[in-house]
Amino acid sequence: MGKLQGMSEASVTNPAPVRRKLSAGPLSRGDKWFFRTASIAANFAFVLVALILISLFIQALPAITSQGLPFIYGTEWNNSKDPIVMQIGPMIWGSVLVGALGVVFATPLAISLAYLIVFLLPSRAAKAATTLVDLLAALPSIILGLWGLFVFTPVAAQWSSLLNSHFGWFPLFQVSTTDNGFLGSPFIAGWIVAIMIVPIITSITREVFSQLDGDLINGALALGGSRLSVFRRVIFPTSSGAVVGGVLLGLGRALGETVAIFYVLQLSFDFNWSQILEPKGGAVASMILSKFGEASKEEVSGLIAAGLVLFILTLGINFLASVIVNRAQPWRKI
Amino acid sequence: MNSLTKASTLSSENISVWFGQRQVLSDVNLVFPANKVTALIGPSGCGKSTFIRTLNRMHELIPGAGLAGSVYLDGEDIYGEEFDAVSVRIKIGMVFQKPNPFPTMTIRDNILSGLRLSGRKLESADEVVETSLRRASIWNEVKDRLNDQAISLSGGQQQRLCIARSLAMNPQVLLMDEPCSALDPGSTRRIEETIKELSSSMTIVIVTHNMQQAQRVSDQTAFFLADDNTPGGVVEFGATEQVFNGPIDQRTNDYVNGHFG
Amino acid sequence: MSFAPRPSVQPWARVNKSRKSQIFLASVLPLTLSALIVFFTGLDQNWALVGVFLPLQLVAASLVGFLAFGRRGVGDSFLIVLVVFLSTFVLVLLVSVLVSLVSQGAKAFSWTFLSQNNIYVSNTTSLDFGGVGHAVIGTLMIVGLTTIVTVPLGLAMAVYLTQSQSKTKGLVRTLTQAISGLPSVVAGLFIMSLALTLGWERSGLLGSMALLPLMLPTVARVAEEALRLVPVDLRYAALALGAPNYRAFFQVILPAAKSGLVTAILLGVARIIGETAPLLLTVPINNGTSWNIFSGNMMTLPAYIYGYLASVFEPSQNRAWGAALVLMILVALLFGATRLLSRSKSLKSKPTKQKASK
Repeated sequence: MGKLQGMSEASVTNPAPVRRKLSAGPLSRGDKWFFRTASIAANFAFVLVALILISLFIQALPAITSQGLPFIYGTEWNNSKDPIVMQIGPMIWGSVLVGALGVVFATPLAISLAYLIVFLLPSRAAKAATTLVDLLAALPSIILGLWGLFVFTPVAAQWSSLLNSHFGWFPLFQVSTTDNGFLGSPFIAGWIVAIMIVPIITSITREVFSQLDGDLINGALALGGSRLSVFRRVIFPTSSGAVVGGVLLGLGRALGETVAIFYVLQLSFDFNWSQILEPKGGAVASMILSKFGEASKEEVSGLIAAGLVLFILTLGINFLASVIVNRAQPWRKI
Repeated sequence: MNSLTKASTLSSENISVWFGQRQVLSDVNLVFPANKVTALIGPSGCGKSTFIRTLNRMHELIPGAGLAGSVYLDGEDIYGEEFDAVSVRIKIGMVFQKPNPFPTMTIRDNILSGLRLSGRKLESADEVVETSLRRASIWNEVKDRLNDQAISLSGGQQQRLCIARSLAMNPQVLLMDEPCSALDPGSTRRIEETIKELSSSMTIVIVTHNMQQAQRVSDQTAFFLADDNTPGGVVEFGATEQVFNGPIDQRTNDYVNGHFG
Repeated sequence: MSFAPRPSVQPWARVNKSRKSQIFLASVLPLTLSALIVFFTGLDQNWALVGVFLPLQLVAASLVGFLAFGRRGVGDSFLIVLVVFLSTFVLVLLVSVLVSLVSQGAKAFSWTFLSQNNIYVSNTTSLDFGGVGHAVIGTLMIVGLTTIVTVPLGLAMAVYLTQSQSKTKGLVRTLTQAISGLPSVVAGLFIMSLALTLGWERSGLLGSMALLPLMLPTVARVAEEALRLVPVDLRYAALALGAPNYRAFFQVILPAAKSGLVTAILLGVARIIGETAPLLLTVPINNGTSWNIFSGNMMTLPAYIYGYLASVFEPSQNRAWGAALVLMILVALLFGATRLLSRSKSLKSKPTKQKASK
């Protein structure tokens, strides 16, 4: 290729061009204040997180030091003993159990609903359904708790009774006695939590489904694919990453749920590992709420420590969720 | 009536441009004389748009942007100590490829937006509006609806509105980055006529991939070219008549006769 | 948003009369059959739904599918029946929440209920007396205070995330996401630990503070999205005219993002207006009306519901439902406002084409 203008003999001996300093920063004094204010606000995020962790830690410290590691796996909470004993093992497990149940119940429901909205309903019905789901995502959890206690519990108790009478041989569905009417069990709490997180999972799944390439799916259909095979081979693999992320987000929400299951779950400091129909359950958030009103000074410290544990747990799950979603769909930010 | 500022000479000296570590332009030396229209032509991707953004210090807004060399406005380096980016952009205006009137403003407010954005005082606003719209050859079409939303205009009208918006700042130089490529032939012709009229009061640099347009409006033409993975540069620069009808370089000949690009 | 795969668009099928009647029979027959079985054998309804109706429906649909499309059709029918069944189930539950809210809440609803407070009300006082007036005022005040502080903060954070070049942007976003994972009860504990450390008294102010970390991530995230949606060439046009960044932002970008920013505020308020746990921990309740947010007791709607929820007395339960209805109406109003905003924005952004004059 011939010479470009400027590439004369002389420039061969010239030194490489010196880059000038360019900046896209403030263009005036007003700009300096503008960017400074924005930075201060952004730094507030750091300050807030630090403040949360530090103040929780300070007040939780007495409990942590006095209880030690058994705080996390022990089963006794006794405020009349001296020194006081505070352990939240069954509560942590209970939160996990209820959260897991919620996820197990919610996921097929949410995916079905998303599939219905995106692939089966005509567009006006789809819009109506979407609005309904979004409205319910905004539902305050206390309202769900109210409904859960008065309207849903009788129904769920009946399901529990059926499960117990037909499948009671299976360890999951065994109960110590059938006299309690199947109230206050992790099963019921799991359903309430499921209803709470269905809108979250449905929203994310619906978004992922509708972002799928329409041409890809139409092409598969035209080649003779059926709905089922298109779902299995095209829709599911592409969206599974984001859906898992959505499920984990729902789980994070479920773990922190307090008032929705407060009146519905019978708290007990006895580990209930898997008897989901038994009226014995645990939830760290509900425990905190129930004990806070009459807690002694040491108990308050214990409750704050429990809150710290809960926060760390939900942080971990949310972090996992964002990692999975970002890996599956790097162009999305949750 | 505002007195129009005297048009200026713009020149670039040894301009090289980087995006991060990748060099995209090498050693561009061009002179844009006062009151003349200069066209920058060349195949897509060879750096014309990047180059024109160095002329009003818009290139530096891109993260990782790098620059070497100088750009002189009437003899003073716009990247030097005497200038800041804001004052450069007031003197050297720009019209973009896609018309971008401010959608939340009326036609009138769009014209005055430059004055408001740069913090200038608004004296005789109505005069400024009328003068700018006249110079952009759109006054008659919008004079009765200055308070309509700017986005209610057609594409060609919006682009002329953007030209008027830039003119309201009384720039000494007007840079135009493929201003007609998103428009229909009718609007294109109106704008080309406007360019010719404007050149009597300012210096114009126009990037275009339309060679007939370059021949119609410009006094001189610079032909840019870039090989794959090598920085682009100017292959030939001269009077439009000569570049198109008697090019010196074989590559220019190939391009203007449609052999590639 | 919804694209193709609907039965009517399948190129290889034609839904003719005989097919339609097959589909009709396939839906109605299992239903009637199940109803008859329940009626005659007294089988429990729930059991019948899952154990009798669903399998019958699956078989019937598979049959129709097989007749229409062969083996392929069986899987498809299966899928559709399952999806419709599960979706209906969940929709019934969701609708049940709304329906019971309206039907139960209406019992307590009256002007008295909305305007009075509960100072002389006991657990068994009839519904003619007392109400949620004080709770509504308390909620509005506490949520209002949080909003006043959080909105500028969230907006400034959104500005930072979209306008500045700093390298710590990713970190700020991650931290904001971490804050959004804060369980609401822990938000209450956070403020209480601060209060214990610094010797503060419980009050409405503390409640507002507890709600801030719950509202902030929502406002910041939605505001950032709204700012991002503004086309970048508007910013360039403004800068090319000689604008410094802050003027480009306030005169061009902000107006263009207005409806999105209002949505951010509304969604943030909707997020915290129903939060219960943080307020229960930080704000002592009051049966009378309080106008002092900085000290003393104050009642809020969620706390009100919580208080009357577990009562065995019917008037109190009715009050809880009534308060829940009021709360839901507030949420629905906020929600409806965001829908209206997004609809009017999408109408405005289509430039109306003028006549041919160019």
